[in-house]
Parts: sequence; C-alpha cells; structure tokens
Amino acid sequence: MRTRLAFILAGAGLLASTAPAWAHHAFAAEFDSTKPVKLRGKVTKVELINPHSWIHLDVVGADGKVTNWMVEGGSPNALIRRGFTKDALPVGTEIVADGYQAKDGSARANGRDITFPDGRKIFVGGSNPDEQPNYTPSK
Amino acid sequence: MNHKLLSVLICVHLWPVAFAQKAWTVPRTLDGKPDLQGVWSNVTITPLERPRDLGDKAFFTEQEALQYEKQVREQNNADRRDGGAQADVNRAYNDFWYDRGTKVVASRRTSLVVEPPDGHIPALTPEAQKRQADRAAAARGRQFDGPENRALTERCLVWPTAGPPMMPSFYNNNYQIVQGPGYVMVLVEMVHDVRIIPTDGRPHLPAHVRQWFGDSRGRWEGDALVVETTNFTDKNSFRGSDENLKLIEKFKRTGPETILYEFTVDDPTAFTRSWSAQIPMNRIQGPIIEYACHEGNYAMTGMLAGARADERSKE
Repeated sequence: MRTRLAFILAGAGLLASTAPAWAHHAFAAEFDSTKPVKLRGKVTKVELINPHSWIHLDVVGADGKVTNWMVEGGSPNALIRRGFTKDALPVGTEIVADGYQAKDGSARANGRDITFPDGRKIFVGGSNPDEQPNYTPSK
Repeated sequence: MNHKLLSVLICVHLWPVAFAQKAWTVPRTLDGKPDLQGVWSNVTITPLERPRDLGDKAFFTEQEALQYEKQVREQNNADRRDGGAQADVNRAYNDFWYDRGTKVVASRRTSLVVEPPDGHIPALTPEAQKRQADRAAAARGRQFDGPENRALTERCLVWPTAGPPMMPSFYNNNYQIVQGPGYVMVLVEMVHDVRIIPTDGRPHLPAHVRQWFGDSRGRWEGDALVVETTNFTDKNSFRGSDENLKLIEKFKRTGPETILYEFTVDDPTAFTRSWSAQIPMNRIQGPIIEYACHEGNYAMTGMLAGARADERSKE
C-alpha cells in the first residue's frame, strides 16, 4: 500500500511540475531568460495595479549614471488581503530585485525575488504556508 | 408513574426533537428563496481532472490527502529557483503574490470532475478537434503580430476560470453573491466581471445574440439555484466547447459557511458526452477587491516589444 501510494503521489506530482506556469501573461515572451539582473536601488514608486504590480527603483550604475528600473510583480489583490499596502514599501526604501531583463533591452525586469539589502525577503509567504488569514471563515 | 419520573421521560423523549430544532437549515431571504448571499472562495488544489496515475481512485484517504497536499504545495511554491532560467522566468514572481490554496476539497475527491466517473473531460468530437487544429494552424507564427493575436486573458477580455462556469485559479478566487427580487448577481473578482442572472422566468435572448459570458437564466429548484446559460460566442471556448454550449450550474447551500457549486457541460457538437464537476465554495471575509485589468496592462506592450526585438535579432 505504501509503495502504491508513493507511486500515485509521484505521478501526481510529476503532472503538477510539468504543467505550464500560468501567470496573467506569458512572462517568457516579455523577459529574457539569458539576461538575469540583480538590481539594487531605492524605491521611487510602487504601483499596486492589475493585472500586475510594478515597483520602480533608481539604480546607480558603475559609471555613476542613475537608471530608473521597473520591476514586475503579481496581482495586488492577494497582497492587500495579506495586509501589504503601498505604505509597506515606502519611497526611498533600499531594495534588491533579482530577476530577468525585458527582451527589448529596456530597463524593465520581473521580480523573481525582492529583498532588503540584508537579504530579508519583502514578500514573504504566499499560498504555500498553511496560514491563510483571508480564508478564516467569517462568523 | 409519579410526576417526577413522567417529566424525566418527557424530557428524554423530547430532547432529540429540541436538538433537531437547533440543527442548521438552509437560510432564506425575505421572499423565501435560499439565501446564497455573501463573499465566497472556491480555492482548492484539487485538480479539475484526476491525475492519470491515480487510475480509478476517486477519493484520497485522509493520509493520502495530506501527502498530496504537501507535495503539490512544494511543486507550486514559486519561491523555488530550481529547474533552469526558463522555468525561473515562467514562475514570474515569488510565492507571496499567488494564492493557490493549500487543501484538497473536503470530500477528498481526486478531481473536480465527477461525471464521467473516471474524472476526465470527455474527448472532443472529430469536428471539434478539427476546429481546434485549424485555429492553431491559422495562429501559428502569428501569435505576436499584434494585440488581437494574443490570448483573451492577456487582452483583459475574459479569464478562463471566471466563468461561467466558475473554477479556481492561482489567485483571486473570490465571488460575491447578492440577491434581489427576480435577480441573482455574482461579482467575480477575476477579472472584475459581473454576472446578472434573471430568475423571473423570462426567455433567453434571441439565438443570434452571442455574448462572452453567454446568456444566463436562473430558476429555484427546492434549496438550489439552477442557472442555464446559452448564447455563448464562438470567440471564446471552455475546454474545447463551441457556441452550442448549454451550461447548467447549480448552487446549493450545504452549511452555514459553504455552498456546493456544480456545473454540467452539455455541448454535443464539441464533446462526445456531457460532463460535470463539483466545487465547494467557502465563505470568506470580504470585501472583493477591484481587478482593473487594463489599468496596468504594460505586459501587452512588453510582450510585443519583446517579439519585435526577437525579430530584429534574427535579421
């Protein structure tokens, strides 16, 4: 029985892992997997908008030139339910965005990981932890 | 028999009746209809179709369900960075932005599809398969020509799980139901859609009128709201359906915090047989949050600009 269960679950997991990733749009069409970027800079604007949020930050290059980058996140609705608002990431906060640059070479990237400079994640949690405060039944 | 014993016996006899009176019954609106109102979520990690490897296994045991949940949570976790750069890009952003749920449905069914019993969507008819193949062939190589060639989701027109029929997706699986005399309204968070369903017995729209969400008509059957939707446009398709789709949805309160939502897909020109699914909806704290898809759809220009850059690099 244990062997059969393991087989069943392994098979089910394989299906889950090979299912196409599915965001609102095709990220692979927008961003270049051969252009990983790690951007460090200060937040200039936070757009919590649908379908996807955008965080803007000023990045100082090696030549001292400042470039304003846009980093793409997801739908803000789940964030707002988890208590994350614009005030949670004030303008001027220093962050590090780890992602991939836009295919057209512009200063846009997706934010695969967004952290504070000391490595602490800014967007912690998600659907993975068991705690889902938004799904506690109302009484 | 003395009075004391008699009163004890009466109490013992009546106790189950008193208990039963406290049992939950379907709440009703002032006009006597089952009350479906509130904010509900249909989030679950139970897949629409049963994973092939599960064969004829229709239900998980409690232990199997726990293991399956753990495994799917690990697979879904977008915080992981393994699998190469392409997989990494496709995960889009980290897990905090997603809301895929963590649990299988309470029945522990291995699929949301309940009919046919194998848990799978029936095969498409040969005509439907040809239609799909023809469309794919016509689109091939032209997917990035312009915004009209992109998916309906990317154009912020419709969301494939927003309904009808309504199914869980990876975030914003939330619905608000409001009832009034002769109408039921469902506000669907994805993608900010409103379904206004007349329940006053009026006929469907004329057959030539075709709409993205079809044309819904509701009726009350016992404790359930039954909604029949026809008049779908052929510009959209639900899992291979065509404009002849007749969709039957059923909403039934099953407890103070739950609705059982069922739908049946009847489309003989698209599917080789009809099929049905069951999805529980659980009450959540509101409110529904606005999803103004066009407001920030920079991705459309981003994708098309990416395609132009790809073309230039090949010149």
